[in-house]
Amino acid sequence: MQTGWAERECRNRGMGMAWTRPSHVVRMNNVVVTEEKNASLGPGVVRITYSTPKGSVYMDEKREPGTGGWHANRSWKDVIPWARKRLIREPQDYEVVQYIVENTEYLPDYFPIEQAQEWLGSEGVVLATLPKTPMARLIIEWIGTEEGRCYIHLKKYRDRMEALYAAMSKNMERLYEVAAQSPADFIGGMENMEGLLISPPLYEKYFLPEYEKCAQIFHRHGKKWAMHMDGRLKVLKNLIAQSPIDIIEALHPPPMGDLSLDEALAAWKDKIIWIGYPGAIYELGPKAVKKYTLDLLRSAVPGDRLVIAMSTENLVSNENLLMVTSVLENADLPLTEEKIRQIERSIV
Amino acid sequence: MKDEAKYLSALKEALLQMDYERMGKAAQEAMDAGVDPLRAVTEGMTPAMALIGEKFQSGEYFLPELIVAADVMKEGLKIINPHLKGKDSRPGKRVVIATVEGDNHDIGKDIVATLLSAQGFEVIDLGIDVSAKKIVEAVKEYQPEILGLSALLTLTMIKMGEVISALEKEGLRDRLKVIIGGTSVTPEFAKRIGADYSTTNAVEGVEKCIAWVPPRKGR
Repeated sequence: MQTGWAERECRNRGMGMAWTRPSHVVRMNNVVVTEEKNASLGPGVVRITYSTPKGSVYMDEKREPGTGGWHANRSWKDVIPWARKRLIREPQDYEVVQYIVENTEYLPDYFPIEQAQEWLGSEGVVLATLPKTPMARLIIEWIGTEEGRCYIHLKKYRDRMEALYAAMSKNMERLYEVAAQSPADFIGGMENMEGLLISPPLYEKYFLPEYEKCAQIFHRHGKKWAMHMDGRLKVLKNLIAQSPIDIIEALHPPPMGDLSLDEALAAWKDKIIWIGYPGAIYELGPKAVKKYTLDLLRSAVPGDRLVIAMSTENLVSNENLLMVTSVLENADLPLTEEKIRQIERSIV
Repeated sequence: MKDEAKYLSALKEALLQMDYERMGKAAQEAMDAGVDPLRAVTEGMTPAMALIGEKFQSGEYFLPELIVAADVMKEGLKIINPHLKGKDSRPGKRVVIATVEGDNHDIGKDIVATLLSAQGFEVIDLGIDVSAKKIVEAVKEYQPEILGLSALLTLTMIKMGEVISALEKEGLRDRLKVIIGGTSVTPEFAKRIGADYSTTNAVEGVEKCIAWVPPRKGR
């Protein structure tokens, strides 16, 4: 989200901050990583090759001008690279990637978290970010969903894919421990859960067991765990209820998601719902934002399990930022219908 | 021809079982036996695909099953298509579909394309990150009854408006229906840019296409 005069005013009126920081550094042993740019790859495309004793794999990503730049000044599109070719495309790639995984170490590095906490003080919270869990990483990042590749691979190369999944799951146990022992306020998993891409059978077989393992480690160290679930979740509602995740982060109610806030609160009684404010509502302007935010509060009465994030990725116009703040700054808990009506009347 | 039903049934079963090997074998045997290639597609594979589409719509099957089924069907078509040359292979009403410029997401588009094909539409899929210019060229070339535009991001949705403006400029807008899809599209947005319909649900989008222009039965 952007910084500036409106952001400062909103923070002065009670808006908090949630920062994500890594708890670790990654070391790959016996793996040589090289980057290459040449015209034959296409404009702005970089090839990253991982060479191992078992062979090589590569991925191509397009880096628009501004990639890696400060998000607060750029649109999301320009900040992160777009995958052009995924890491795993052919069956022989699995063995190489499995070697990389089995030779990857996670070393604690808590400085980013400690620094962030020192800067933030009581003005916000810090989440120790983790990469996606193994099957999410395979489906969304390493194999990809383009042309349905990951599902076709799961049909055609199931043994290889499951062997790699198992290797990743074992390898990440160390990372979960590192994150759990960090001084971060919460653990933040970046799953991008989407019920269209991750069907219930896939969730049950490959995600639920992994979540149970993670949660045991995090909870043993007293950490609450937030999982980034910003897609359509209705079809996974009951399975998510069974998952030992403490906070469903980036839930997008309709019109962008398919699960309303009150459905989510009813289905997940032991969880906190951390809303990702739908960008589609921001597009409609402050009047729509006011109505939508008030409706969110009405769904959440008494409101003790609700967090509203201004944005998970979009830049928010100052007028929208100020409107959400105007609604929320007077939303003292416990919320009641009458309090919400008063808030509505107080905002012109 | 004798035993044609047996070959058509083998094609149908191979697809329902989502079995690559079985499909390859069934397609080859059907062609070797002289089964009419058009009937192999329309009476062997398309009914199976339609059944799978129904199971997807009812929630019994999910995206992975739909994708794999479409891929298994492609395996069969690789063998059958060369035999279709010279025959009237235009299956029915035509849809051009694309993910707009700047957007690399294709799952929603692919689901719609698969379900439309299962319903007998001819689908020309232009892929992802497609410029307005390219889309207009495709509309001129293929003269579809329907144009489908997909965008996942609020940032790329605006490109849909550019496509519609480009169609208007070329005098093409009134010749077809435009449907837009993606998690961020809303009816208000559709109205603003001049699209005929918007949906965040692939099945609903397909139903709208059928309501507009019922596909021709058979191929």
